[in-house]
Amino acid sequence: MATFIFLVAAAFCIAGAVGIVLFRDAIRSVLSLVAVMLALSSLYLMLSAQFIFAVQVIVYSGAVMVLFLFVIALMGPVREQPSTRLRFQGLLAVIVAGSFAGLVVAMLGGVRYHAPDKGAVLSTFGSVESIAYGLFTTYLYPFELTSLLLLVAAVGAIYMSRRERP
Amino acid sequence: MSDITIGNEHLDASWFLILAALLFIIGAIGILVRRNPLVILVCIELMLNAVNLTLVTFSRQLQNSEGQLFALMSITVAAAEAVVGLGILVDIFKDREVEDVDELSELRG
Repeated sequence: MATFIFLVAAAFCIAGAVGIVLFRDAIRSVLSLVAVMLALSSLYLMLSAQFIFAVQVIVYSGAVMVLFLFVIALMGPVREQPSTRLRFQGLLAVIVAGSFAGLVVAMLGGVRYHAPDKGAVLSTFGSVESIAYGLFTTYLYPFELTSLLLLVAAVGAIYMSRRERP
Repeated sequence: MSDITIGNEHLDASWFLILAALLFIIGAIGILVRRNPLVILVCIELMLNAVNLTLVTFSRQLQNSEGQLFALMSITVAAAEAVVGLGILVDIFKDREVEDVDELSELRG
């Protein structure tokens, strides 16, 4: 059953990702990304990351995607035309992506797995408690910096979307 | 050692890693090929998601929840990046229609 779920979710991921690249309409690309994110969230659930699953669904496929759709609604439909500027862009993209894929495959071949940590309790693994314990003890400082980052991003977005600037 | 037990089945961690690598490469191809700035942002989000899958996979394989914390941080940064990127895009679109990122070359030195 787990293998079956993995294969279905992986097929959705790949199909959505290919859709993002191939669809000419921006709105179809964004909706394909929603499909990828929902499939990925089911994979997170399989990997016993319940909290990440909830965050993925709420923050990514909820908030961020609504933001993208709002921007498309503001812009109006834009269809991408075939390129006129860089004539060799397709060829260059194939070369760069091919060499990059080779790099990633070589890296995957060299992955060495370590034995799992002893003493981890799998029944509470990935729960809100275990995440919060790490977040508020060892990683408290990065966590506070994250809130600062969000504040800066919010202020920056408000500044940029103002009609007239001082 | 790279087995991940889910229910009573064993999945190999490398499956998840291969899937993440595929998603990352497709995202990279999208950034190289597409010219709509909004779709390029979408492809960046796809690549960030692929990295998150790698983090969560290793977190599960090592049974160490720090990978999930890293994934959480990366989701936050990705959300902030989307907000700022889309803010810049909306600001540009107020002035003119942009169909090609190559048109945005005022800052070229």
